Amino acid sequence: MLLADEVSSHHPVLSDNPYQPHMARIVRIYKMVENNHLFTLRFLEDHLAHSFRHQPGQFIMLSIPGAGEMPISISSSPSRPEVLELCVRRVGRVTNALYRLRTNDVVGVRGPYGNGYPMQEIIGNDLLLAAGGLGMAPLRSLLWYALDHRDKFNNITLMYGAKRPEDMLFREELTALVDRTDINCLLTVDADPSATWKNHIGRLPSLFDHAKIDPMRTYAAVCGPPVVYKFILQRLLELSFPKNHILMSLERRMKCGIGKCGHCGIGYKYTCLQGPIFTYWDAINLPEMI
Amino acid sequence: MSKPTVGIFGLTGCAGDQLVILNCEDQLLDLVSLIDIRDFLMASSENNQDCQLDLALVEGAVLSNRDAETLRAIRKRSKLLVALGTCAVWGGVAAMNRGADRDADRDALLEEVYGDIGRGYDSTPAQALHEVVPVDFNITGCPIEKEHFLAAVASLLNGDLPLYPEYPVCTECRMRENNCLLIERGLLCCGPITVGGCDARCPDLRVPCVGCRGPAGDANAGSLVAVMEEMGFSRPQLAARLRTFAPGGVA
Amino acid sequence: MKILKLPKEKLDLFASVVQQFGELHAPVEQDGRYVFKRLTRWSDARLEYDRTILPPKKYFLPPREALFRYRPGEGFVPNTDGLDQRIILFGVHACDVYAINILDRVFAGKYKDPYYQARRKNIAIIGIDCLPDKQCFCRSMRADFVDHGFDLFFYDTGDYYQALVGTALGDDMVLATGNLFEPVDAAEIDDYKRRSWNKRRAFQVDVEIRDLPEIFEMEYQSEIWDELGEKCLSCGSCSMVCPTCYCYDVADDVELGSRAGKRTRLWDSCLFASHALVGSGENFRGSRSSRIKYRFYHKQRGFVAEYGRPSCVGCGRCVSACPVHIDVVQVIDRLRRVEDVASR
Repeated sequence: MLLADEVSSHHPVLSDNPYQPHMARIVRIYKMVENNHLFTLRFLEDHLAHSFRHQPGQFIMLSIPGAGEMPISISSSPSRPEVLELCVRRVGRVTNALYRLRTNDVVGVRGPYGNGYPMQEIIGNDLLLAAGGLGMAPLRSLLWYALDHRDKFNNITLMYGAKRPEDMLFREELTALVDRTDINCLLTVDADPSATWKNHIGRLPSLFDHAKIDPMRTYAAVCGPPVVYKFILQRLLELSFPKNHILMSLERRMKCGIGKCGHCGIGYKYTCLQGPIFTYWDAINLPEMI
Repeated sequence: MSKPTVGIFGLTGCAGDQLVILNCEDQLLDLVSLIDIRDFLMASSENNQDCQLDLALVEGAVLSNRDAETLRAIRKRSKLLVALGTCAVWGGVAAMNRGADRDADRDALLEEVYGDIGRGYDSTPAQALHEVVPVDFNITGCPIEKEHFLAAVASLLNGDLPLYPEYPVCTECRMRENNCLLIERGLLCCGPITVGGCDARCPDLRVPCVGCRGPAGDANAGSLVAVMEEMGFSRPQLAARLRTFAPGGVA
Repeated sequence: MKILKLPKEKLDLFASVVQQFGELHAPVEQDGRYVFKRLTRWSDARLEYDRTILPPKKYFLPPREALFRYRPGEGFVPNTDGLDQRIILFGVHACDVYAINILDRVFAGKYKDPYYQARRKNIAIIGIDCLPDKQCFCRSMRADFVDHGFDLFFYDTGDYYQALVGTALGDDMVLATGNLFEPVDAAEIDDYKRRSWNKRRAFQVDVEIRDLPEIFEMEYQSEIWDELGEKCLSCGSCSMVCPTCYCYDVADDVELGSRAGKRTRLWDSCLFASHALVGSGENFRGSRSSRIKYRFYHKQRGFVAEYGRPSCVGCGRCVSACPVHIDVVQVIDRLRRVEDVASR
């Protein structure tokens, strides 16, 4: 017979609780773009910092004590462990609360969740990353994963467009890639009022003119606002891309991240379990996906 | 950090929402240790009517030019302005027949109500606060729920805006497993289109919801009215009930 | 499976004995309807009830439940209040047991919900057979009979209850009564079959669910959804009373003057405007018609893809709880109806 306190210490709610946030410290806040800061987190418990493993394209549930919990895609690459980088847009109650925090403050993290990019399928092929605006946040994990395992991929192309240079996420590190020969890094802005931009000016799809893409051996990871999906998908389909080689990262409301709360349902799939990475084939078959 | 400065005000209304604040007896000492209430006519004889306020809680509807001026002055001195109670949020009982109120000859109306001396009274058709000044957020209810007021202060002290239910009274009524007064007893219950947060207090006591908290975010009054007409209620009867707490009805 | 019989006149004796296994809850009358409630005396139990206002879901996934308490410096501490309470639900209908079996699958999987599972473990279920009324279509939904998910299940065969023993706990309950239960003989088996046959014939509502997912796909653009959107009040009643609706919201609140607080989950509905609203302000199901379509679609089509069957069990609660008479049976009938192409 177990004593009462022994019973409760063995309770799965205490010992094996998928909703349990683990506390993490904010070690750096980088003001990348206005209202799009990059937060670097490290778990308070060293063993968690060492053991946390994720796939590019996965997300975590971020808790700001007292304000709530929300899904955030992981922007750092699994090839650079120990810390998590989250590019968080300031849009609502929870993110506002996060923006009031300072370095050394503590937040809650659980995860990683979601399917992530199908790395086993992608490896050995060409990789095209196409992002518009804030869509770079989830793609950045995949980008650095590929660059850190460069030998596992053939040609790598990045197409990224933002409104103005100052709206470009990860601008410094991406412009530093432009001169590298192991990636075709194409950056464009719609307009450059300050006349300081040394890369492309024009809409994102125009970058296809500067890229050599072999649709049969390329996986395309696309992320951005609906207009980006519309035009990029159009170009990819014109190139006869296989529909299951087009990978999209979707955003949905989530309260659990683990397929229980029901909010992220699209048709019969849950974005948190079967997504957030869906192929274009999935999108055709699931209503209201994009 | 210095305590946030707070003012609590009443325009035209019953003062019931301010009373709810004063009735937070178990929390009053905590409250005054956390916030600096500078201006609260109903509770204090020493008020500072000019100081800057971090937070203004305003009860009642705007029913006169004087109300409107008072409200504009409060807005000017406050960082955050909160509409407190259904009258402040929606116009409340005073706004129930605002259309007719506006069309009518105001002086004739005043004379009818107050007699000869009524002519020239400062009286305007009822308005909710947001129709006069920008409002930062609402705590609705007639009166407000004590817990919602305390949650608002607790959240604001942390810098967060409070969250309140957007679902209708039915949701909480079902959670409490009440018998449905509308379906089972054919009573005129506004639960399906009235915003929740009251834990269905009235239906729980078998009193149909009168809509005192104002409309739910996505209220579909047209559909409810159609069904109630099928149940035998007349349009005027329905209009009177639905319009009691918000102009144009709980819609 | 162990099958025994209990003489009807011994039922109250059985009820008093099983209380040693937990707090006894059963349907009791409330203004002409029924609710599952803690019994203060056995005579309050109404085992001939039609359906309870809320399904037994409320015991396993309470309408409001604190998941964590938060304290600065301590982090999120799980709330275990009430999880170890032993309860016996006496008189659960087959459709409701079936619904719990469906919830079991949702709250299991790769990520097990420990709150749900703790309650499921500590709450015993004694099922009871019933006869359909004009709103029951559990047979169409293949939920008029359950072969697992209960500890005991009673079938009224006239003078006896025939008892299916579903779990070791159910067997312990039987044994605890000494020799109240008796073996069944051929005559009672015939009684059972007769009752089963009578029950089958008593259904007044029938829905065909075969190829329904495909028809949902074909009718995705049907004007039915717009009509339903015009009617639906988004009041959430159907979701609250549904034995398999499990959507929940999570909210944090703080204590006055502190960063400490608690994280609570509460029932939610896909019919609420905020259900698919994301932080950036985009709403993936902004219209009422898209939301009610999603509700039907997820139950009757989506769940089939995920779990091999609809999540609807045909209990009829949503039909009687809808203030504007939206009726799932009628909706399915209309979707299946062959419309005259010329008149379209």
